[in-house]
Amino acid sequence: MELTRQLVNVETGSPDEAGCLLFIDGRLVAVFVQLGLEHNSGLAGKWFLEHAFGSMDKNDQPIFDDLEAAESWVTARLSA
Amino acid sequence: MLALSKDDDRVPPRDRGEARQNSPGRPRSGAVAGNGIPATAHSLAAERDRLVKKLDSIGSLTDEERAALRELPLEVRLLGDGEDIVRDGDRPSKCCLVLDGFVCRYKLLQDGKRQILSFHTPGDIPDLQSLHLRTMDHSIGALAVSRLGFITHQDLRALIGRFPDLGNLFWRDTLIDAAIFREWMVGLGRRNAHQRIAHMLCEMALRFEGVGLAHDHTYPMPVTQAEMADALGLTLVHVNRVLRDLRLMEMVRMESRTVSILDWDRLVALGEFDPTYLHQD
Repeated sequence: MELTRQLVNVETGSPDEAGCLLFIDGRLVAVFVQLGLEHNSGLAGKWFLEHAFGSMDKNDQPIFDDLEAAESWVTARLSA
Repeated sequence: MLALSKDDDRVPPRDRGEARQNSPGRPRSGAVAGNGIPATAHSLAAERDRLVKKLDSIGSLTDEERAALRELPLEVRLLGDGEDIVRDGDRPSKCCLVLDGFVCRYKLLQDGKRQILSFHTPGDIPDLQSLHLRTMDHSIGALAVSRLGFITHQDLRALIGRFPDLGNLFWRDTLIDAAIFREWMVGLGRRNAHQRIAHMLCEMALRFEGVGLAHDHTYPMPVTQAEMADALGLTLVHVNRVLRDLRLMEMVRMESRTVSILDWDRLVALGEFDPTYLHQD
């Protein structure tokens, strides 16, 4: 399982625009967006699962401290 | 305190649900939790009158019926923010009238996620159904410090026996309750995040107005963004983004636990809000 990241800007209709595409073996599995300062101080700077693809539950959109934690979560879900 | 501001996402929805479910010291059985702090006679009279106002807003009452509603025996209790009033599986012998504060019906999923099913203003009796459906199939909790008046099923039955038209009016109230659920179902299934929030804010404006607690489309709404997310099937992040948009578009201002709808017509258009389902006629 090869993980690759690609930093992008995402149009979310809000100031949250710094995003990261996560690929596994060249296939897009998740889009994360870094939450901006308009969110409360506990959330600003964290990474929100803006959209998941494949077998992941689309109703589950957690927030992670960093991209490493986000990647671990995705790989755990996809390996389950 | 609670307010619809960005600082209010204190507790993630999932954690909050688990905290409620597992919180120590809470009575697990029985219909009532709380401290039993009484209201003053004056404030209680005004609060009691909200049931009269509520029923007046959805039907018509005679003077005798109004008097009987005001004299209904109430066991008044004060509940803290987040306290449960009655829980899924309970078999209550009383209904609760919201005298002051803000209350919701909700369902907890096994993984701790919470779906809020409805919001309730003062004047509402959110578990009126327990008069006929013995076992609770959902929970009811306070979303702010709330004063509740518990009415025994026995007293309610006696009231309806004396005034059958009140029974019809309570029936009408539960039918309107069902109409509100249908409208929420449409929202959860088919409306986008902006529409859901706009629709809910319009609905609550008219419901608070019905009990005399909204003026110029300004009303108390002590819910956090996390609670709005749980009610509308959205994430905290999306609720925050939409509320920011509504503020920037100068449609809604939310501060100090108060919602002010600044541009009613635009908010109604955005939410495709048609108040027919509230049957306030």
